[in-house]
Amino acid sequence: MRMIILWGLGLFILAGSALAQEREMIIPVPQSAYSQAVKIKGGTLVFLSGIGPADEKGVLAAPGDFPGQVRATWENLRRVLAKAGGSPDDIVTMTVYTTERRWGEIFTDMRKEVFKTGYPSSAFMEARKFKTPGALLEIQAIAVLKE
Amino acid sequence: MKTVMLLLPICLLALAGVSSGQDFKKEFIDPMPQDSRSAAVKVKGGTMLFLAGHTASLSQANAELGNFNAQFKRVFDKIKTTLSQGGATFDDIVTMSVFLTDLRYIPEFNKLSKEIFKKNFPAITFVEVSHLARPQLIMEIQPIAVIP
Repeated sequence: MRMIILWGLGLFILAGSALAQEREMIIPVPQSAYSQAVKIKGGTLVFLSGIGPADEKGVLAAPGDFPGQVRATWENLRRVLAKAGGSPDDIVTMTVYTTERRWGEIFTDMRKEVFKTGYPSSAFMEARKFKTPGALLEIQAIAVLKE
Repeated sequence: MKTVMLLLPICLLALAGVSSGQDFKKEFIDPMPQDSRSAAVKVKGGTMLFLAGHTASLSQANAELGNFNAQFKRVFDKIKTTLSQGGATFDDIVTMSVFLTDLRYIPEFNKLSKEIFKKNFPAITFVEVSHLARPQLIMEIQPIAVIP
């Protein structure tokens, strides 16, 4: 009997620590691959610099090709997040800047391929320019790593 | 006795869980001193401070109109005041969104910000925008800080 109580207690503690890591996507908008909010408690935060389609040496990928630049941007996000010990699935929110807001749909269609376990919150807006000449988009993301 | 023996490790585990939550860790991923920024900043624990977008207040007539250095100094003075009200310093800034009306100011920005962030370089996103809240403004900076 005592053992059962202790097991129960142990499981309760384990469940508590697992719950602390759980993220809740609030009002997901699957057609645009984002959520209105993401709720999460605990974890390690990663604040990323603006990531665009330029590689580590600053060389622009796919000049003039928006889908090509989106792919390169995800690769760069993956690379930086991997160095921090994470992956794109850990992203909780992102601000997406593009030089042409009419590319929104292309972007959100491509974002569906990236997130497998739920969509981050997101804002999308048009900006005039980015640090790398010729860059058509830049993403500023915050991730919370699973422990 | 058996119960105590079994309970003890569980209690210790629970306590360890609580105390590890108070640990503070900060790691700069790929710092780029020449750009006075890091590719990412990883933080565990601490207290977060989300700042509003800060701009130069142009109360002193038009002396700062279009003057990048003067606006930079004014913006960071204001950020410093806000940070200190929140119990933070420049070193606690982990990321900043930097909105400029002309990205050609970036080299100047990097030069000046190197004097502020000696080695704890935050993540930065530079975005060129067509307008800020008032016509005289050439920069707006929105930081996030994490206080140990």
